[in-house]
Amino acid sequence: MTQAEIIAALKAFIALPDASDAEFEAMALQVFAYQFRNNEPYKRFCLQRGRTPLSVRRWRDIPAVPITAFKDLTLSCSPPEAAERVFMTSGTTQGIRGRSYHPTLDVWKRSMLVNFRARFMQGGERIRMGILFPDEAELPNSSLATYLSLAKRECGTADSQAFIDAAGLDLDGLLSALEQAETSGEPYALLGASYSFVPVLDALAESGRSFVLPEGSRILDTGGFKGQSRELGPDEFYDGLSAAFGVPRASCINMYGMTELSSQLYDDGNAVCPSVKSGPHWIRSRVVDPLTGADLPEGQRGVIVHHDLAHFNCVAAILTEDAGEIVPGGFRLLGRVDGEASKGCSVAVAEFLAAARG
Amino acid sequence: MVEHAGHLPGLNREALRWREVSHSAWGENATIALPELDEAQAATLCAHVRDNARARLKRMETARIVDAIDAAIARLLDREHPLRRKAEHLLPIVTGYDRETVRLGLTGYLKTFRKPQLLRFLAEDFGNPGVLDGFQPTPKGGSLHAHGPELLLHVWAGNVPALSLWSLICGLLVKAGSIGKLASAEPLTAGWFASLLAEIDPKIGECLAITWWKGGEAAAEPVFLRAADTIMAYGGNETLTSLRAKLPITTRFLPHGHKIGFGVIARETLDSRKAPVLARLAAHDVVRYEQQGCYSPQMLFVERGGKVSPAEFARYVAQELAALAARHPRRALSSGEATSIAAWRGAQETRAMDGAAELLGEASDNWSVVHVEAPEALSPTGLNRTLKLVAVESLDDVAALVAPYRSFLQTAGIAASPERLFRLSEQLGAIGVSRIAPLGRMTAPEAGWHHDGRFSLLDLVTFTEIEQSAEAAAEGFAPYVD
Repeated sequence: MTQAEIIAALKAFIALPDASDAEFEAMALQVFAYQFRNNEPYKRFCLQRGRTPLSVRRWRDIPAVPITAFKDLTLSCSPPEAAERVFMTSGTTQGIRGRSYHPTLDVWKRSMLVNFRARFMQGGERIRMGILFPDEAELPNSSLATYLSLAKRECGTADSQAFIDAAGLDLDGLLSALEQAETSGEPYALLGASYSFVPVLDALAESGRSFVLPEGSRILDTGGFKGQSRELGPDEFYDGLSAAFGVPRASCINMYGMTELSSQLYDDGNAVCPSVKSGPHWIRSRVVDPLTGADLPEGQRGVIVHHDLAHFNCVAAILTEDAGEIVPGGFRLLGRVDGEASKGCSVAVAEFLAAARG
Repeated sequence: MVEHAGHLPGLNREALRWREVSHSAWGENATIALPELDEAQAATLCAHVRDNARARLKRMETARIVDAIDAAIARLLDREHPLRRKAEHLLPIVTGYDRETVRLGLTGYLKTFRKPQLLRFLAEDFGNPGVLDGFQPTPKGGSLHAHGPELLLHVWAGNVPALSLWSLICGLLVKAGSIGKLASAEPLTAGWFASLLAEIDPKIGECLAITWWKGGEAAAEPVFLRAADTIMAYGGNETLTSLRAKLPITTRFLPHGHKIGFGVIARETLDSRKAPVLARLAAHDVVRYEQQGCYSPQMLFVERGGKVSPAEFARYVAQELAALAARHPRRALSSGEATSIAAWRGAQETRAMDGAAELLGEASDNWSVVHVEAPEALSPTGLNRTLKLVAVESLDDVAALVAPYRSFLQTAGIAASPERLFRLSEQLGAIGVSRIAPLGRMTAPEAGWHHDGRFSLLDLVTFTEIEQSAEAAAEGFAPYVD
């Protein structure tokens, strides 16, 4: 398949209302064959594991690449210098950032919008939005900035606004927008990085203010705290959001996305944490034993693997560093996977790196 | 059945609180009860050990202590002795190592503490071990007497079975009152050994105690840390740093941090006759104690230009690891340990994607070998039978690849001709390697070795010196003075 063909096939696949196991499998194998042929490092990785498009018959057998590989290698089926957009991770482990190359953002955008409409817009055409994140003009390499800009452009009303830019948080602007929303009776949506909400919550708590946003209002947070703000436990966080904005926890939706993917996963609110997350029909998630890579049965804790067919240009199957368990309707995210220091007296990798960094 | 850990002279067992911990491995379970002392009990224990050491141990001839240790070790070497049987039964369950590994490991290790070896220990550090028993003349004139600490605290880490005996015996040899803090991962051997000593020589038994507390949390901890005049501690840098911060400035602190071992293989050893043997020895060093030891190899530097290439040698090693896996199965891993291996394998696979590395062994095998052709600096692996082989043009390149990690270095296993052994040892010694061993012996240091390049006994003592002039001056006051 050529790039144009795979893009066309994916767009058609995303446009389907749903996909059966067999349909997903067929598309996954096509994407795998495409990536195996055009992505040299990935091909080596697959050969190392003895997997080729000829030997792989099930989507679950498609080799998943550890996400750290996006830091060390150029994983792209097309010349990286010709990419329309390069998304980079914010994580700066040893100053290296993971990269995803997009020869076109068409598939990425389509994946984002179809899914966003289904999971966050819940059938509504547009909603007034307040965005707590810089826009894509400011952060062109941020997939989240692009995501939120697209959400605002395609699903926000004309008076939607972003409240964070190079100058920082425009708290006054946000408060007056929230006041207006409160009195207008029209639902309002507040979207941003999880850590962006923390200073807002702190400021509201300090001044003793809170809002009761109209029914149908909702909140979307994503990405955790990443050391950008103090860490809040999930219950503390969603209780805080609910109390500050008058939005029930069931309408506080968490989006789980990654720079190393082209699709996002959502929960259906955070009335109960940890919530159950799931993706659209073009992404499937597994939970595996970190050592063997074998699928774990439902309810057993392991490492999450995503197969995101929309990520056609890089690698569709990635092994995350997130712990999780499969449950009915999706998976539960159980935080980061952490290695354990050795019990003996030999140096383990984590300790060595920590000491080497000083 | 509950096995009570520790040895607590002067305290009433029934009055103590015990924390029960369950262990299971190889289809068997064991419950170990660990003592949890309160502040008053800790203070009583410290006073008991210190007072007894002062009154008894300090006045004992070293030879008597050596005899008692020798007798205790003889019983532990006796495979019919009830304690030895208990050790062979319980240690595999508690540490997870397979029975054969424990049995062979114990025997090999205990052998280094018999009388001739103990005398060698003493001779190694003291030109004249008599200095431990009284004043001895010195070459420069005057006399010296070495004193061990009154109260030596051992903080053990690690699940290498019986590792605690090493420092415990060193303490006894210099007549230190000793209190040992057991590691949760191996809470048994030290207490057994202490009880055995107490049975053999009750006076010595009053001078040492073995206990446990949860590091950084227990009420008793500050009592122990204040009471000891010397502390020998094992653990990761973070643990050691926080421990040191809690000590009075006058306390002598002897830390043994985590280390990384590596092997060096010269081209002259790589022919079709010798290479398979070397591969077996290297695999043995990797398998024994699952690379948990400070002396365990995590990386091998293999020189190009032999009849067997580094890539072929990597295959030999992989084959030997596979063979050993059948005979000595890897212990069950915690999810954290599995994750460490997976993360390391993942990183190696990533490099293999670039064609820079070759990963041998399936993820489902219980060993992994990776081989790289480009020179690479020393780095730890995922442990539990994960090994990296790095091809180098010349072994003279190795020192530079290892040098940045000076503070982590200890043992290098070397396979090379005598001339090159010495040349390499010079190079590696200069960058901080303190022990050179042959492959196959990396995890079994010989009696009297200088752990981390230091003196095992000498570091523990202080000397009292009678200057020659004092002796001469005293003559003036003798009753026989003319």
